[in-house]
Amino acid sequence: MDEYISFEQIPFGSDDFANNPESRCPCILLLDTSGSMAGLPIEQLNEGVITLKNELVSDPLASKRVELAVVTFGPVHLEADFQTVGNFNPRNLTASGDTPIGAAITLGIDLVNRRKKVYKENGIGYYKPWIILITDGAPTDSYINAAQLVKEGEANNSFAFFAVGVEQANFTILKSISVREPLKLKGLMFREFFLWLSSSMKMVSSKNPGSNINLLPPSGWAEL
Amino acid sequence: MTWKLIGKSVIGTSHVQSGKDCEDSNHFEILNNGQENEIAIGFVSDGAGSAKFAKQAAIRAVQEAVSISIQYIEDEVEIEEKHLVALVERIYDIFRIESAAINVPLNEFSCTLLGFITLPHKSCFLQIGDGAIVRNDGSGHFTYIWWPQNGEYQNTTSFIVDDANVRNLQVKIIHEKIDEIGMFTDGLQMLALDYDSECAHQPFFNDLFKWLRRAESAEHVSILNRKLDEYLSSTSINNRTDDDKTLLLATKYIL
Repeated sequence: MDEYISFEQIPFGSDDFANNPESRCPCILLLDTSGSMAGLPIEQLNEGVITLKNELVSDPLASKRVELAVVTFGPVHLEADFQTVGNFNPRNLTASGDTPIGAAITLGIDLVNRRKKVYKENGIGYYKPWIILITDGAPTDSYINAAQLVKEGEANNSFAFFAVGVEQANFTILKSISVREPLKLKGLMFREFFLWLSSSMKMVSSKNPGSNINLLPPSGWAEL
Repeated sequence: MTWKLIGKSVIGTSHVQSGKDCEDSNHFEILNNGQENEIAIGFVSDGAGSAKFAKQAAIRAVQEAVSISIQYIEDEVEIEEKHLVALVERIYDIFRIESAAINVPLNEFSCTLLGFITLPHKSCFLQIGDGAIVRNDGSGHFTYIWWPQNGEYQNTTSFIVDDANVRNLQVKIIHEKIDEIGMFTDGLQMLALDYDSECAHQPFFNDLFKWLRRAESAEHVSILNRKLDEYLSSTSINNRTDDDKTLLLATKYIL
């Protein structure tokens, strides 16, 4: 992980596995911060991420178990590495640049695999990681390899990959990347989406690792 | 840059609630004694909650301790245990004179003192009261110099001003090259020590030293020093302790 982040952003502190041996429920957000997100979309996204944190922090079990990471694009940038939600302090994201979805997915999968290795080394149980892609556009880089990694990961039960499209997102391409059906955000209902995500994560993290994921129905925020 | 030191004292939530100041203090210096051998000096102190001048005593104790240590180095004193005892006795005398001057009991200046002076071929440690000093034994394992001095009860300990002969003072010279030292006041004892197995809590120090080892410039060290302050003020710490807390970390390791 460490080669991806600057010294300014390191998660300094001891949130060690000995003090908190709870099983971890990792969730990484791959967030589109390209130029087209400027204005209201990025504002709503920022508020949504804060909602997610606040919802999870207030749940005693989720606050010990859920770990969040954030990758933004473009360019691809590790905004926050995996940490329990109490230590997750989302910074305000700004919109600029292109939409390298392929590179963002590849980095996200790499980070998930590394995190699992850390859990194993520390004897910490873990839940199936969630990778959540949110975009309002189409890849500006090659995504063929990334799509292949997603398919392999889903087939091997290594993680669950969800794609959420906003407004003008290219759903044809999202469908070719995500094994699960991509969901279309209704308007800019980021807040509702992140409330749904936090409820789903609270539910998952309150069960034992390995239990089947029963997602809450994506009601309210998705166009079905 | 050889030695990298960071240290912060942060007010506890119980002191905030009762309107008190932070009564912990720390002070550290890095000296180059001319032979490219850097010397690190660090002291921490915890002023007694019941003492009227706890804050002033803690600040004064660490500043005097560092300046006396620097004087020893400048005078090329071969520091032995008796010099460490003399250092604390001088601070005792300062408190005695100051308390007499303003006509208050000496115990209004009650504070603990822990410190180290690392020389090229040996390291000197002293401690009076609770808190602890740990050192990397060279294999990546942290061992404490002394287990915290608590009395019968968790909230009783000894202070510099307890006794003119500083009988509760512990001093030790270790004739080894020591490259990594952590030091903390009692506010962090529950996090930094493992009471079940009576040893230093290894993950705590590993997590924090990991980044200090990686620091490559004065700028990195100052970023970490700021982050240490944020960390000691964070909810994850405040959920475990409501007391003032001081942490000082020193390393020569480079990753």
